[in-house]
Amino acid sequence: MGILTDEMRRFIGVQSDVLTAPEPVEQGAVRRYAQAIMDEDPIFANEAAAKAAGLAGKVAPPLFPVQSFRRAFGSPDTLVDRATDPDFDGSIGSSMRGLPELPTAGLVRLNGGSEIELLRYARHGEQISIQARYASITEKESSKGPMIIVVIETSYFTTPDDVIMRVRSTSLLREPQK
Amino acid sequence: MRTFESVEIGEELNLSRGPLTEPIMMRWSANMENWHRIHYDRKFALEHEKLPDLLVNGSFKQQFIMTMLRKWAGVEGWVWTVKFQFRAMNLAGETLQVWAKVTGKRREADYGLIELELGIKNHNGKESTPGTAVIALPYENGARVPYPFVPPGNSI
Repeated sequence: MGILTDEMRRFIGVQSDVLTAPEPVEQGAVRRYAQAIMDEDPIFANEAAAKAAGLAGKVAPPLFPVQSFRRAFGSPDTLVDRATDPDFDGSIGSSMRGLPELPTAGLVRLNGGSEIELLRYARHGEQISIQARYASITEKESSKGPMIIVVIETSYFTTPDDVIMRVRSTSLLREPQK
Repeated sequence: MRTFESVEIGEELNLSRGPLTEPIMMRWSANMENWHRIHYDRKFALEHEKLPDLLVNGSFKQQFIMTMLRKWAGVEGWVWTVKFQFRAMNLAGETLQVWAKVTGKRREADYGLIELELGIKNHNGKESTPGTAVIALPYENGARVPYPFVPPGNSI
């Protein structure tokens, strides 16, 4: 029996409003990010090193914009709201890209992969915005049973004419294994 | 400086990352404020999600691919596109071998494009993250690749 419902199909093509990251690209966040990915390239922290590499100034690691959309100060705290839900997996998911949550209660969500196009680094001090949409929501049969494939297209920019990168990300949803 | 002409079909790239211990994985989850419990809550991962162990974040693995490609391209080049699928799990404690291999070259007006296959293997040689990438490199005696990057045609 399929697990993709008409209610989920209605999300296909739904586009988010433009969402702006809660903070600009800042030195401390870049340092923590570079250390976490174990790539402490001086262009991420040192102005002279960045200019020696032909850049206008310090930049963030190339995929930094993808992880720069955090819960805004004062917004609903899902971790607290669902603290007593034993089935809550901690995933906040697409809400961080301004899209409405798919009604996928009870399904396990896995990261299926991405297609990324990079045009430039984000610079320290820049305010990054995104706009995302559900490009496709389909179902296929896998070795572990039916699986829903959700593709989200997201553009990262400072202004609509200044695109930093574009991403097509795939999420896989399936029922928990018995 | 790496140039389009200096690259040969079949040339290989490599980067090792690991062992990816729980603290290293937790540092990444905390950094990106990703609270998905399958990456740090072993009891939830095993008992609720029926997984074999904590999973290495896909978002973490893509960083390693990016680091390898970017360092190979050098400051004169540019990693234009990267595509990959997360086909298999990588588990806490594994050491990952990130790899790529040059499969093609093509000339554009202002720079050359290098096509690569890539992936991530664990310590047992199991592939988890097959994909492809395209890197722009300058020509010998040519200008550096334009920055911000100007794609030659259609993007993804």
